Amino acid sequence: MISMILPDYYEFCCRVKLVAGHDALEKIPGLLADREAQKPLIITDKGVAGAGLINIVSQALGDRVSASLIADNVPPDSDLKVVHQLAQLYRDNACDSIIAVGGGSVMDTAKGVNIVVSENASDLMAFSGVGTLKRPLKTLIAVPTTAGTGSEVTQVAVIKDHDKHLKMAFGSYFLLPDVSILDSRMTMTMPPAITAMTGMDAMSHAVEAYYCLQKNPLSDAHALAAVTMIYKYLPMVAKNPADQDGRLAMAVDACLAGIAFSNSMVGLVHNLGHAIGSVCGVPHGMCMAILLPYGLEYNMHKCEESMARLLLPMAGEAVYLDTPKEQRAQKVVSLIRQLNEDLNKITGGRHARFLQEVKDREGKPMVPREVLSQIARAALLDGASIYNPEDTDYEDNLMVLEAAWEGKPLDRNKLKKG
Amino acid sequence: MEPASVFAFTCPVKTNSGNKALEHLPVELANLNAVKPIIITSVEAVGRKAIQTLTNAFGDSGMTMGLFDGVTGTADLTLIENLKIIYIEKQYDAVIALGGGTVVDAAKVLNLAVSLKAADARQLSEETPIRKHLSPLVVVPTAAATGLETSKLAHLNRMVFSSEYLAPNLVVIDPRLTGAKDGKTIAATGLAALGRALEAHISADKNPFRDAYSFAAISFIKENLLAVVNNPGDKKASLAILNAAAMSGCAFSNTDTAILHKLGQVFHDMQHIPPGIIMGMCLSHVLGDYLKREGYDLSAILHPLTGDDEFAQTPAAKRSEAALFVLGRFLADLHGALGKDMPRTLKEAGVPNYMMEDILEVLGTDRDGPYLCTVVKRIWDDKPMT
Repeated sequence: MISMILPDYYEFCCRVKLVAGHDALEKIPGLLADREAQKPLIITDKGVAGAGLINIVSQALGDRVSASLIADNVPPDSDLKVVHQLAQLYRDNACDSIIAVGGGSVMDTAKGVNIVVSENASDLMAFSGVGTLKRPLKTLIAVPTTAGTGSEVTQVAVIKDHDKHLKMAFGSYFLLPDVSILDSRMTMTMPPAITAMTGMDAMSHAVEAYYCLQKNPLSDAHALAAVTMIYKYLPMVAKNPADQDGRLAMAVDACLAGIAFSNSMVGLVHNLGHAIGSVCGVPHGMCMAILLPYGLEYNMHKCEESMARLLLPMAGEAVYLDTPKEQRAQKVVSLIRQLNEDLNKITGGRHARFLQEVKDREGKPMVPREVLSQIARAALLDGASIYNPEDTDYEDNLMVLEAAWEGKPLDRNKLKKG
Repeated sequence: MEPASVFAFTCPVKTNSGNKALEHLPVELANLNAVKPIIITSVEAVGRKAIQTLTNAFGDSGMTMGLFDGVTGTADLTLIENLKIIYIEKQYDAVIALGGGTVVDAAKVLNLAVSLKAADARQLSEETPIRKHLSPLVVVPTAAATGLETSKLAHLNRMVFSSEYLAPNLVVIDPRLTGAKDGKTIAATGLAALGRALEAHISADKNPFRDAYSFAAISFIKENLLAVVNNPGDKKASLAILNAAAMSGCAFSNTDTAILHKLGQVFHDMQHIPPGIIMGMCLSHVLGDYLKREGYDLSAILHPLTGDDEFAQTPAAKRSEAALFVLGRFLADLHGALGKDMPRTLKEAGVPNYMMEDILEVLGTDRDGPYLCTVVKRIWDDKPMT
């Protein structure tokens, strides 16, 4: 029995305090008081505010927190100017903490603001890179409104300087939020198609974390728990958005998956996904859903045993025992494909299964076949490939993209194995 | 694993484990904004070589450091006050605890004293409020660890300090320091970690974040403890046990289910028996009792205890019983390897009969008092069935 593997060397860290529940938001005043903070700046975006989620947060804060300031102008893509503007707002109003309510861009923006106000910096740029922060920042409470990105537990932030066309990355354990609040009310109104793709984003975090190069016993334990629950709950909440217990479970799962991947890193699926996102503007979660089966197929010869171990948490004992050992990894791939099929049906076709199915609001295809070579090239510039078990290059990227475009399984005989 | 009402989890400890883990220390300390650490240890317990290995790891980093290697089992607040004065005088800015048990407890309380800028450390008490991040604390455990090193607790001279801020920022598990000296010591380490991880894992308050730590801890102990007891030179296996010990402390900090821990602690305090030995003694009794209590799910521990195949092959209704059986067999195997070094009753452990009354009296003051006392009476002379 080999259930946990101890690598020659590993590091693991998730210092975020996690508070989860159907009324977890009500804990915020106490958590702020514990940290001697009283006046939070609430950072969010128009979508979140428009969906009424800020009202729920404000009500939960009640009168135990002095009139908090709400800034809802975070753009869908983080923006350096907004970071500086919000930092000024924070200073002008003598705030002492930040509550970030939203998805990835809101979290990134809040982390950026926190650097500027804590370090009393005039320019965020001075702190870009890894390891430039040396001490704890102001109290940051993260309230994710999608169950997917895991950015409530990651130590990175990406801020874009749209004037200079620059993307700045920040990495430090001090960027981890102090507390993350996982409250089912924050995801209840997410429509099925968004639920499906953000859920598959979380699934891709957990699965890639389980087979990529920096995996370790603690990332493994988080990943296995996440896979078990996402596989069970994602179709349930996509079908029945009002399933409160299912919503909470997905929020917890996405967080578990976030902890797993931020400690073991991710590979090809994210590598190509980032490239599709930057070339064609396809939402990240949709890329993840489509590419995940291909990441498994591409790397299977390198880590078949790890992949096979995902079958039990996904399909349960009966399927596990009925599947011969040498077919288990392949079965995992087909279950992921089936999950995408199921989500496609549940969402009335809005959850795309292949790249050629991805359409924008006007129904126009977002990924024309001609751009695949451009995506394959762009992927070479993305760091995520470092942690992929098998090497990648332009030809391999293109081969995977072609298959993912058509929706055909990868021809594993054609893989270069090195 | 399904979460129900509000639950929380926190683990401030970063883990660095494996080859040359110590060599990362200068960078890790710099990341914590520390440049002048003081090492707190016990030369008697860890040996000169371990201290040398730790200081050598700083190589040409240019960091200067202090060393106090005289922590003993009787460490108290007077010692902490003396260390606090040195810490302030020499302008240290971080504490590195090398060892396990009392050494780490003393380091935690020292860190508390210097971080709170206590005028006199002797005034610290269990009631002292701790609401802020403390100064950087690194724990470098040796094979003598108890598993509490990574936890939120610090025991000092029968006082128990408790706060999530007391836990270290970093635990560095390096195979050069975690080698087992003998089967007995590492068995005590492993059994203490196993007891705490098992209780966390079956706890009625479900918590999937905590379960990740307890799952990994239970797996590692089950797979490696017998190997290292039989062959204390097995470095990889003893590294795995020390990893499990660190994980169990994180899980333990996030549960109130701690019957085994309490039993281990009282005999440690009053009879200086390693907590793991007592916890091993009580394991079958206590887990058997949990089986009859509502809300505690023993079936959950079968998976980490046996791995995928045996777990999948066992029908759901039989998993609790199967888990108890597997544990019983595991303890019997350990006893087979250790013989009298792993006593199965208090009598075998040499606890004098006349002490029993005192022990029961102390236990009686706990909120689980009546139950704890029944367990102690049972382990006096009652070997668990194997």
